[in-house]
Amino acid sequence: MREGAGGGVFRNESSLKRFLWIPWRWWRRTVQLALLVLFVWLFRRTEYAGADTLPGGENLFFRLDPLVGAAAMLAGRCVIAAFWPALGLLLLTLVFGRFFCGWICPLGTLLDAFSFLISGFRFSIAGRSRREAQIKNRKSKIENYIPRVGRYILLSLCLLGAAMAFPLVGFVDPFALLVRALTFWADPKFFQTADNLLSASGRASGDPVRQFFVHHLLPFRANVFQLAGVSAAILAAIFALELVARRFWCRYLCPLGALLGLTGRLPLVRRVPVRVCKDCGVCAHDCPMGAVNAAAGFSPESCNLCMDCVDNCPRKIVKFTVAQASSLRVAPLDVSRRKFLVAAAAGAAVPAVAHASRLSGQNPTDPSLLRPPGAGEGKSAIELFVRPGLSSPPYPSQGAEKRFLELCIRCGLCMKVCPTNVLQPSILHAGLEGMFSPRMAHRFVFEQSYCEYNCNLCGQVCPTGAIPRLSVEQKQKLPLGKAYFDHNLCLPWAKKTPCIRCEEVCPLPDKAIQVPNSYTVKGDDGQDLEIQEPVVDRELCIGCGICEANCPLEGQAGIRVRRVDAPDPKTEFLHE
Amino acid sequence: MDRKEFLKQVAAWSAGACFVPLLRVDPLSAEEKPPGQSTLAVAKGKDYEALVSKVLEPLGGIKAFVKPGARVVVKPNIGWDRKPELAGNTHPDVVKAVVNLALGAGAKQVLVFDRSVDDVRRCYASSGIQAAVEAIKDQRVQCVFCDQKKYVPVDIQKAKSLLKFEFYKDALETDCDCYINVPIAKHHSLAKLTLGLKNAMGVIGGNRGEIHKSIHQRVAEINLVVRPKLTIMDATRILVRGGPSGGNPANVKVLDTLVASADVVAVDAYSTSFFEMKPADIGSIAAAQELGLGESDLSKIKVIQA
Repeated sequence: MREGAGGGVFRNESSLKRFLWIPWRWWRRTVQLALLVLFVWLFRRTEYAGADTLPGGENLFFRLDPLVGAAAMLAGRCVIAAFWPALGLLLLTLVFGRFFCGWICPLGTLLDAFSFLISGFRFSIAGRSRREAQIKNRKSKIENYIPRVGRYILLSLCLLGAAMAFPLVGFVDPFALLVRALTFWADPKFFQTADNLLSASGRASGDPVRQFFVHHLLPFRANVFQLAGVSAAILAAIFALELVARRFWCRYLCPLGALLGLTGRLPLVRRVPVRVCKDCGVCAHDCPMGAVNAAAGFSPESCNLCMDCVDNCPRKIVKFTVAQASSLRVAPLDVSRRKFLVAAAAGAAVPAVAHASRLSGQNPTDPSLLRPPGAGEGKSAIELFVRPGLSSPPYPSQGAEKRFLELCIRCGLCMKVCPTNVLQPSILHAGLEGMFSPRMAHRFVFEQSYCEYNCNLCGQVCPTGAIPRLSVEQKQKLPLGKAYFDHNLCLPWAKKTPCIRCEEVCPLPDKAIQVPNSYTVKGDDGQDLEIQEPVVDRELCIGCGICEANCPLEGQAGIRVRRVDAPDPKTEFLHE
Repeated sequence: MDRKEFLKQVAAWSAGACFVPLLRVDPLSAEEKPPGQSTLAVAKGKDYEALVSKVLEPLGGIKAFVKPGARVVVKPNIGWDRKPELAGNTHPDVVKAVVNLALGAGAKQVLVFDRSVDDVRRCYASSGIQAAVEAIKDQRVQCVFCDQKKYVPVDIQKAKSLLKFEFYKDALETDCDCYINVPIAKHHSLAKLTLGLKNAMGVIGGNRGEIHKSIHQRVAEINLVVRPKLTIMDATRILVRGGPSGGNPANVKVLDTLVASADVVAVDAYSTSFFEMKPADIGSIAAAQELGLGESDLSKIKVIQA
């Protein structure tokens, strides 16, 4: 045996080294676990915790994601400086291939863990033991039937859709799917369960165990979100697919994996040998990504560098090393050129069809569709070394809505961080392609849901700048809407009943709700009641919605916020 | 815990929950209130923490109100996301001093809370009150967020307008031996002024907008249930316009003053003078007088300058 040949780049003939040899899988699992913990820790930190400014880094995983970066930049026709980590990842992928999927991706880690748990239940892939696979050296049955072209269709959907300004990346990006499912469904459920258990355990609020949970593990409250079930179901479906094949999502569907795979098609570091030994085939059987094929050989665009083949090779001849000129060529791309073009066409067709069939948003926009402050009004020029801020002159509102939908990747971080739970995922408010983008739902939770005056957290976490990072002072001067009284509902106007709770809660130093007129009536108990008639000063109003959230009426509020560009409601039921 | 303990806890909680609707708090009637003069102390100074002790001296000090082993509730105004200098909430130094005095008097437990209007975490942080209380580092004191599960319905006897409402259990006489009311004096468009009587709105549950439908009468009536042993009015700086949320520093007037009394109506009546108003101008003061909650006639109140 040649010196240096063996189980990997570090191996040599010394017996001491052989004794200390740690299988790759232990390195990999440690790194995967560490990064999963980091992901969860960053998720937990995406919340108001007493400081006006978050420490930063909460959107790290999205900024590492070249798929959402490319989609946002293509759709927005700009360069977003925040995505430099994604560029770094692409460069590393050119060297190492699709290592991200095997070592870093938190969804991949979770799928591996889940796979381990259900391995006994998985539909038998080859229906045969490893020994048989060694002898018979055949591809798994399932793999014969599932086309790999799916992930290229989804990739093309994202990129070509973005190029046509029809952003769909939020529907299929793995991080967006994961964060939304956690934010909308898992985190609230976790809080409810833990809170119930802690209460039932009888622990007082000062108890150390309870304090630990409250300060470090639990969110502040169980926020309520629409589309929670849908988001959870999508994630559950991805996990359920593990029953069919290991890393099903990664192999057949993940568009980020497809992008990284294409980038890492001919990596500098790749597997040798490229071919599968005719009398063995263990690596082909064991490969979780199906990247090693008995017939075609090694496919780098599917390999996630898990190194299972290195660890499992009975003869210890597999290793990953810098490609030599003499190394054999890798397998051809796992889809034929024709299939690839069909995938691209299919991906492009969806946005075109959706545009034509009017599933896209209304024009003009629904007057009650409100967006986070400054949405779509960030700078458009190349932003290298320039802090994101407001574009000047500002976009007209309709243009801002369009720009917002182009840049928004539906990651869900703004909805996670919002302290008042006012940001809700759009359902069909902005058409099908606007689904999951954040909208202001004032009064969604009575008294609680409105845009908090001194808060700018959503702009701090948005990875693409769809919600620009505004200072608190900038945000306090930027209207996201304007309030109007409904004279058919408002108590003083409609029912001669004293109220003006709206005026009381208006946060502006010079209140945007004023009471220029008042008169006196006799109350039920004979007492004099002063009726003050509130009006909105729309020069001052910024549409935060605290008035709408606190209006004491049951059901619809007597004062409601409308878009800044909404038509004058004088002709409708609202007055002034 | 083991299974037996768990089942015991579940049984205890379930039994407790069954009895909640039967809770009734009978307010003190006009006859029970000691007749004669209400005593009120006023003090002025720059050191707000020391000022609290100074203003309580003429009333007999904190020990006249907090007995050893008492369960104390200190109820400041933490309603708004405003920094201390904007006069939206009670000054943190005043709250801190009150808590320290209560601990020094031998209180078993001191709770500090309010039901905020803006986001509760922001209010507690911006007001400086949470940090001030947590700096005390005494196991007996806690600055807590209100627990939704702790609001209980109460029939309000002798009320004409508000017959029944929800109140925070920890603030009721069954759970609290000494309720110390620490409001801040502010302008309020609907109520004209928000003072000690209105500060009780921080311990009611449900849809608080109901109170606004007849604010003067109803603010007085919730005080039939919430009976502070001691009211210390924070007039260190007051909000003369744009209340109750404030936000414009031009509307803040620094007075460096504290007013204290066992009689919340007397404190409110006296505090109207800071705004160049009279007790008769404020509907809730008149309604409270009528309900026998205290004395609003300034000529009948004994004012001691501390």
